[in-house]
Amino acid sequence: MTVALEMRGISKSFPGIRALADVDLVARAGEVHAIVGENGAGKSTLMKILAGVYQPDAGSIVLGGSETRIAGPIDARKRGIGMVYQELNLVPDLTVAENIMLGATPARFGFVRRRALSDAASAVLDAFNARIDPSALLGSLTVSQQQIVEIAKAYAQHPSIIVLDEPTSSLSEHEAQALFHIVRRMRADGIAIIYISHRLREVLDLADQVTVLRDGQQIDTRASDGLTAGEMIRLMVGRDLTDIFPKRVVPIGDVVLEVDGLMRAGAFSDVTLNVRAGEIVGLAGLVGAGRTEVARAVFGLDRAQAGAVRVDGAELVARTPAQGVAAGIAYVPEDRKRDGIVPSASIKDNVSLPVLRSLSTAGWISRSRERDLVREQVETLGVSPPVIERAVDTLSGGNQQKVVIAKWLAARPRVLILDEPTRGVDVGAKADIHAIIGELAAAGTAILLISSELPEVLAVSDRIYVLSEGRVTAELDRTEADEAAVMLAATGEAAHA
Amino acid sequence: MTDTKLDTTITGVPGTSRVTRANLGARLGPVIGMPVGIVLLLVIGTLLSDRFFSVGNLVNVLINISILGVIVVGMTFVFITRGVADLSVPATVAVGAILTLGLQPAIGTFAAALVGILAACGAGVVSGILIGYARINPVITTLGVSTIVLGIAQWSVGGVIVYGSDADAQAFVNSRVFGIPVIVIIFVIVAVIGHLVLSRTTLGRWVYAAGSNPDATRASAVPLARTRASAFVMTAGLSGLAGALLGITLQTARPAIGVGYEFDAITAVVVGGISLLGGSGSIPRAIGGLLFVALLNNILVLHGVPTAVQGIAKGLLIVGAVSLDIYLRRKGGRS
Repeated sequence: MTVALEMRGISKSFPGIRALADVDLVARAGEVHAIVGENGAGKSTLMKILAGVYQPDAGSIVLGGSETRIAGPIDARKRGIGMVYQELNLVPDLTVAENIMLGATPARFGFVRRRALSDAASAVLDAFNARIDPSALLGSLTVSQQQIVEIAKAYAQHPSIIVLDEPTSSLSEHEAQALFHIVRRMRADGIAIIYISHRLREVLDLADQVTVLRDGQQIDTRASDGLTAGEMIRLMVGRDLTDIFPKRVVPIGDVVLEVDGLMRAGAFSDVTLNVRAGEIVGLAGLVGAGRTEVARAVFGLDRAQAGAVRVDGAELVARTPAQGVAAGIAYVPEDRKRDGIVPSASIKDNVSLPVLRSLSTAGWISRSRERDLVREQVETLGVSPPVIERAVDTLSGGNQQKVVIAKWLAARPRVLILDEPTRGVDVGAKADIHAIIGELAAAGTAILLISSELPEVLAVSDRIYVLSEGRVTAELDRTEADEAAVMLAATGEAAHA
Repeated sequence: MTDTKLDTTITGVPGTSRVTRANLGARLGPVIGMPVGIVLLLVIGTLLSDRFFSVGNLVNVLINISILGVIVVGMTFVFITRGVADLSVPATVAVGAILTLGLQPAIGTFAAALVGILAACGAGVVSGILIGYARINPVITTLGVSTIVLGIAQWSVGGVIVYGSDADAQAFVNSRVFGIPVIVIIFVIVAVIGHLVLSRTTLGRWVYAAGSNPDATRASAVPLARTRASAFVMTAGLSGLAGALLGITLQTARPAIGVGYEFDAITAVVVGGISLLGGSGSIPRAIGGLLFVALLNNILVLHGVPTAVQGIAKGLLIVGAVSLDIYLRRKGGRS
């Protein structure tokens, strides 16, 4: 196979930090090359060099056989490099076709050639076998459809190389399958694909080559045949993780959280479930099945129109998060950036935010009590660095997540709802978060866990509820739950079987 | 390589390391920029005019900013909660001034001022409810409330000037305690209380959080709507106080008495480096901006610069300060 891209001896330093040290990367036409590593391993720096955002301090980039300097993102695109970032760069108020052709809109004398625009966009969507209406407004699509449009936008430029940075992080397993189909299609077209993902199983499924980075160093590059997830993790973290999801067995007590016939129009209906003290209950389902919506309504962020929520038998009219917190419910939200952290504030100010009132006398904050409480939580959770005055937006994703969890542990909840607590978090932090969840359960907290990562839900949960289109379609005990059973219920097939 | 290890664990992502050179500017700039600017102005002013660096002149500058300063304290709260700006200041100042002087003969100056301040707070409650709870754009809301309140004020006094009748109150506000003008003392007390509320109380913490990330703040069980509303109630109340002080010092009040205070307050806050995007800033910084503008103005006046040119200078200062804020935020890696 022809070599589409060769990056040789790439090094890059930032003041006080060596981000990449002598990294080689060879991407061949018609091949999927995965790059894996913990957060901060240098994956994004390497891709930013390829995209022309950064210039390397040393090393060379060979594109299609000739050595090249990539001047900037526009230059990268001209040279046939398509970038698809984790955050979608689309315009919600334009149509699908207009988004796909954005930046390359066919025009004459400044007027858009509408026919050519829609033809070009349709051709790309057809190639992907995607059933998306090119004339639909982008904002009306689901996240997974938007993700496909984002890739179509890169593909429409006829690139020789496409970089996919965490394309599945916001997709459920089912939706990810559609995306894999597109990746394989692009590979068949002879495009060299660079694939970055934390989901190791899909890396094994998709990739031909795998490069492992750790602390800016290239640890290994090898064919994916014969590679296992365990081996990859060992290379990534430099230590053996015998069990990715260790499960602690703890005594299970009385029912703490009871949700009875909860309904919110257009989101979910007749949701009944319960969680006992010390129990970890998984809430599984496809993206869009209503898991987050249920969690938000139980906590009080959204209003439920019917049904009841009880904590320790006492019914609460959880209409505001303040009432949810007062009843002993805590919610670690799905979207950390939006609902989790106050970015410019310090670790201290973030952690104490929900319990500020209890740390104050007549509105006056007791700084010593606040400091003690935050220090204790930061220590328990292993937030790094444990400097409580540090602004949260200077921390890594995993540590920001720990801050959000710390914030809710400070409220000493009876019920902890965790919504995608390990999304976009590196392997080390993930193990830490699982350990914390286990400890909380051991201490008698009732835990409701939402995760799109099925192996995680299966490994951690004592019991699993499966949601499909806003309804509970199955309740599975730990012993009877496996991927097949959950997926069957999640896709709504169990009801017909 | 030990360095790499350390630094990646701190920040997680290479290139966003906390202390880069650009970052340093972004983090230190706002802290030392204003004091340096003020000292620079003091030096320039002294060099340009021998009348500038005298106790008399500088105390005059302080007297001139005291009434505006009371409003600036409130406006800082509005900026930090990401409430954009309170444009109803001219109306609430007028309410404070007109009611103070109008009710003076009936209930005495102090009680009249109290009524004026409470009435101004009422206007703030209306704005606050519309902005915080109904989530209407603050600029539109405060403009609307301003027009209505001014209308009521104008109507109630029949569109004429109200004159004061308590020369003692005027004399008291214009008097000095240990050489410090009473009006300056009032401003300093308001500023200190404002600073303590913002930095040491739950409300203050909520104000910052609401401005930095309202969604996460709500999800943290913070009464978001009430926090937002309180910033507008506070600004209205402090504008009412400013209006009362203004009325007492001038012993006349007309409905347009407060016009211009809203923009002067916004100028001070912006020049103080407080972002319109909310979530950061402090009372000392806003007062730094206020002092900077006042000193610059004073130098221009002493130098006989035409009023039109003073306006141009002030305008350039606002545009410059906002551009610098955006530039530093980009360099600092925040958008």
